[in-house]
Amino acid sequence: MEGGGRAVGSTFKRLLSVAALAAVVFSWQGGPAGAQAVPRQLRIAIGIDADRLDPAEQTTTTIANIVDYMFETLVDLHPVKNEIVPRLATRWQVSRDGLTYTFTLRRGVTFHDGTPFNAHAVKFTLERLQDPRIAVALRFLVTPIKSVEAVGDDTVRITLSKVTPTFLADLTTTQFAIVSPAAVERAGDRWRAAPVGGGTGPYVFKEWRRGDAILLERNPAYWGKKGPFEELLFRVVPDAGTRLTQVLAGDVHQAMLPPAPDVKGLRRNPRVTVVEAPSDRVIFIVLNTQWGPLRDVRVRQALNYAVNKKAILASVLFDLGTVVHSPCPSMMFGYSPVQEGGWPFNPVRAKQLLAEAGYKDGFEVNFFSPTGRYIQDFQFAQAVAAQLRNVNVRANVGTMDWPSYVAMIQTPLERTRVQMIVLGWAWPVLDCDGVLYGQFHSSNHPPRGLGPAYYHNPRVDQLLDQERQEPNVEKRKALLKEAQQIIWNDAPWIWLWSQKWYVVTARNLEGVRIHPIEKWTALCEPEAPAVGHHCVTWK
Amino acid sequence: MSSSLGTYLLRRLGLAVPTLVGVTIIVFALIRLIPGDPARLILGLQASEDEVQRLRIELGLDRPLYVQYARFFGRLVRGDLGRSAVTREPVLGEITHRLPATVQLAVASITVAALGGMTAGVISATRQYSALDYLVMTVALFGVSLPVFWLGLMLMLLFSVYLKWLPAGGYGTFAHLVLPAVALAAFSVAIIARMTRSSLLEALNQDYVRTAHAKGLRQRVVIVRHALKNALIPVITVIGLQFGTLLGGAILTETVFAWPGMGRLLVGAITARDYAVVQGVVLVFAALFTLVNLAVDLLYAYVDPRIHYG
Repeated sequence: MEGGGRAVGSTFKRLLSVAALAAVVFSWQGGPAGAQAVPRQLRIAIGIDADRLDPAEQTTTTIANIVDYMFETLVDLHPVKNEIVPRLATRWQVSRDGLTYTFTLRRGVTFHDGTPFNAHAVKFTLERLQDPRIAVALRFLVTPIKSVEAVGDDTVRITLSKVTPTFLADLTTTQFAIVSPAAVERAGDRWRAAPVGGGTGPYVFKEWRRGDAILLERNPAYWGKKGPFEELLFRVVPDAGTRLTQVLAGDVHQAMLPPAPDVKGLRRNPRVTVVEAPSDRVIFIVLNTQWGPLRDVRVRQALNYAVNKKAILASVLFDLGTVVHSPCPSMMFGYSPVQEGGWPFNPVRAKQLLAEAGYKDGFEVNFFSPTGRYIQDFQFAQAVAAQLRNVNVRANVGTMDWPSYVAMIQTPLERTRVQMIVLGWAWPVLDCDGVLYGQFHSSNHPPRGLGPAYYHNPRVDQLLDQERQEPNVEKRKALLKEAQQIIWNDAPWIWLWSQKWYVVTARNLEGVRIHPIEKWTALCEPEAPAVGHHCVTWK
Repeated sequence: MSSSLGTYLLRRLGLAVPTLVGVTIIVFALIRLIPGDPARLILGLQASEDEVQRLRIELGLDRPLYVQYARFFGRLVRGDLGRSAVTREPVLGEITHRLPATVQLAVASITVAALGGMTAGVISATRQYSALDYLVMTVALFGVSLPVFWLGLMLMLLFSVYLKWLPAGGYGTFAHLVLPAVALAAFSVAIIARMTRSSLLEALNQDYVRTAHAKGLRQRVVIVRHALKNALIPVITVIGLQFGTLLGGAILTETVFAWPGMGRLLVGAITARDYAVVQGVVLVFAALFTLVNLAVDLLYAYVDPRIHYG
């Protein structure tokens, strides 16, 4: 899934708005007004408009975040405990062979249209995901499902065609949210844009005004803790500076991704709260392991030694990232730190390795970065190029628009222009398999997959194939650990950081948390043992 | 005159047809010449290649370009602009959702620009080389030079964050319209003011103006009824062109003020390579521009009776 916050405009434009906003952020004198009445309507500024609201067809994390207020999944992932917890299913059992999952459903839950939530609805939802006419972006998460059987009213049995260790985690993605069969049939063609009455969640769909806003109403019959606000309005505000201005002006109560350069000042502003947390989006520089000097592992390691990650994070990224210690970010299942503190900054060692590889005088390389796709992307690419120059590697930095960028990545090896590129990778399921298999298994070389390092290590392929079929948790962890170690030292990327995700809220809005998959808390987090219930409130 | 006007109208509208067909060909070719795969962009980097290929086939992207164009054109003559690849909704619906916001903003903004610009121009021309003239023309210079996204943010800081008089962007009420209309008008005000000034100065040097003064008419009557009326033709041309441009979607203004207009729809469609929407929106823009130009030409005859059509 793609992140929702695409910055709009040129560097110049950003500089100007940054200067303007910095003036406000720093000069504000007035303090908070104290406790205020709960607003009737909670307003949240988002960066992009929805493409569609059917949970099954979600492609964008931010829109899925909105859909989560209306639709619920069987199981959920607790953002703090990082474990699978109940939502619409209260209990589940996995058969010994790992092929059959039996879910006990929550009783007394009704859809917004008044029809009951039951085993039939679950069967309908999961079978609908297999319908080729429904554009399910992550259909490979659906394909392991062989059959769904309603065993009585509140028990569902799902049989898989192959062992899928991530299956429960997969079920937490928005596309698996349970929909009302009656509502889907009634809405027909309009379902995508107006999913009326179709969910079980705390808020009900009311209106989608194209390009402007999405409006939801409180579900008075919600089975869980009801939301404190009568209405939720998600306003589409593409410009990051405007989103921040709206929060400062009190027009909205929460805004996603204000301009990165303003975050430092906002952290000190008493009127607002910056909520930030590391996300599972790893940012890295792909090294085409089958191009010129980069074919030599010593060269790739040298480039890793040559880049000072911590300095760039502090000076270019406003600390909106944390250095990675492994190919897989820390919040994912199977994470195993390979090198604490990341790949060390050691230009002397870098020069030695380059000399050993026969590149004493360095080499020239084309280096592309998108602009405005990831936090400070083009800016940090320039910082990296400057550091590489210290070890005689002359990286020519270029940029292009995102569609052209993706087209460049999708090209097969014979025709690729990729030598060195900035890329970010996030996965909707917090499991190392998502990043390791997607980027480092040789079956995912473009155009088949989107792993543009063209990395190929038979041992890694073998480990990843095994890990995908290993039902035993500990054994699987060991396989993932070995894979992470090999990949890290093979250095098909310059390992950088995992990016933070952040929103700014009015001071009175409390309890908003950031989920590692680049979402914010949709009202209440599921109950987890030892952590309990956690909800968004207005103080 | 009326029948010749009718013929003129028909001929102009007839001429618009090949223009619009030309536009469809250019847009169709241009948007496909730049790299980018709509199916991949819609489904995201993490989607599987099988799913992406399925969508390509569904969108007809696997067919040769001329087949795609023939399909598009065939639908077009039946009044069907196709469906958005992103939302799967009819393009016509996407446009009609956004058109009112664009028209509202364009009309409000051109009204502000025409009134403000002409007033400033008249003030400036009648007091040529005075301090007021220099002041007006300096302000006009700023109006042309200030980037709208910066001006927009400044207006919001002043009127929304500090004074709390107006909302900081968004759509719905008249209050929402004020700031974007003013920010967007700034450029046109300046252009119109400068054009009014130079055109009026030229008229003020004509013999008929001296005659009017000699007749003992008051200064105001001379300027408004004699000089200004004759100076209007180039001003109307500029206003018409500006209005056409504004209808073409004020992309930056719409972005800064979170205004749900056509400009943002177009930019979004280009970044998603949503071909059908790009084609549809550009076609509508071209048609609107043609119509505005026609209306301006007709206005000439009203302002200057010497102009005949036929």
